Amino acid sequence: MTGRRRTTALIGDDNTVVVAGKRLTWRTLHKLPQLPSPAAVLVDNGADALAALRHHAVHGTELLVATESRVDERMREELGESGFAIVLPDGAVTLPRLKRVEESGRAWLLTSGSTGRPKRIGHTLESLTTVTADQPPRTWLLPYSPGTYAWWQVVTLSLTQADQGLVVIEPHELDEWPKIAAEHGVTAASGTPTFWRQAIYRDADALAGVPLEQITLGGEPVDQAILDQLREIFPAARISWIYASSEVGASIVVHDGKAGFPRSWLDRDPHPERPVLSVEGDELVIRSPHHGAGLIGPIHTGDRIEYDGDRVLITGRLDTDEINVGGSKVSAGVVRNVLMGHPGVSWARVFARKAPLVGRMVAAEVVPNRSLGPITDADLVQWCSTRLPDYGVPRRIKFLDQIPQKETLKSDV
Amino acid sequence: MGEVMTAQGRSLPAEDTADLREIGFRSLDFSELALRVEDELGDELNFDAPGLRRIATVGDVLDFIEQLQSA
Repeated sequence: MTGRRRTTALIGDDNTVVVAGKRLTWRTLHKLPQLPSPAAVLVDNGADALAALRHHAVHGTELLVATESRVDERMREELGESGFAIVLPDGAVTLPRLKRVEESGRAWLLTSGSTGRPKRIGHTLESLTTVTADQPPRTWLLPYSPGTYAWWQVVTLSLTQADQGLVVIEPHELDEWPKIAAEHGVTAASGTPTFWRQAIYRDADALAGVPLEQITLGGEPVDQAILDQLREIFPAARISWIYASSEVGASIVVHDGKAGFPRSWLDRDPHPERPVLSVEGDELVIRSPHHGAGLIGPIHTGDRIEYDGDRVLITGRLDTDEINVGGSKVSAGVVRNVLMGHPGVSWARVFARKAPLVGRMVAAEVVPNRSLGPITDADLVQWCSTRLPDYGVPRRIKFLDQIPQKETLKSDV
Repeated sequence: MGEVMTAQGRSLPAEDTADLREIGFRSLDFSELALRVEDELGDELNFDAPGLRRIATVGDVLDFIEQLQSA
């Protein structure tokens, strides 16, 4: 099971890896006990996840890594029936019910499960390593939950490129990550818009103290307001947003500081290294060279788009984004963008509420920006009334005390 | 009802016989009022669609809301 293959060049093996305040390198990370293959390694900390990944990279074993909390009993049984040994955080191993030959070099990811139970998507270290050009030396923050696509993106970059250090943030450190990042000289960070909003909301001064040169957003619809707020705090940083998923990989990368992507990117001629983006109805369809195993051809993403001049905005999930108010349709994402464009709003969620006569009405939850004084629902209704059709104005607005954030760093907006 | 009208920059007439169309109280306003009542009661209301067609005046709205609250 070990010492047979090396699936990709571990150019970053001597890159710095900071875990729990300790400065190590990939090479000097602790070694896990001999891992079976195929194995589903369930972890309760970032260091074990990195050790499992390096083991996979060195030995080419078949691996699924995820946090223990993401894999419930039913999924553990399914994995066992699919030939995976389950390795728990304490090292205990449950042998698989099905014995099968390993798929050498296969890395499995779980989808976020936003449309049902998480699915397993097959990749390899190569298909997950989408950044292949030489990068300027950087120290990356790693706030993502182990095993998610975004986590793989950051860790493969660090493991396969020179001078790409990592600072791992555990869930209990999320509230104070800017302090840790500043202490360890983090120069690049990737997170969801919710993650960035949280950081600004909690302590914008602490955030400004992090010497960021590269800021990346992904995992949720990215609106202009959060891009502008980050630009104000970090005027010299490169600010990018990425559309990526386990199924299609990193497929859209935008560096111009604007929400959405240029409409001219739709239906371009096929290119071996570039995904083909198209729209069917309101749905974004992607044919990607970075796709998961068996997902060749156009993938219907389930994400809804709206055109805004020469830009294509990704507004949310197809099944929840469009709200039909008495026959008039409005995008929850567009309403959310308008609300979050209000200077007094730190975060917003927009959703449909059942109502008489019109069937559904637009409603919202909002976290106000405490530093700018109180705002009322009347202020926000007024703000929206001048920017949206009347049926798109959220008539019922609930104020929350804090920005909700899940383990995935998303808030399911 | 007055709060809904005020939020729209209008005022509620004193007479219960005032015609909803004339005062500009539209379906969206009625829906908002229903959601306000729901929030107040903390429970989802079961709206009787046939009954809604009979609502033409301010008094009809107030009666309907009262019925909902006592249902």
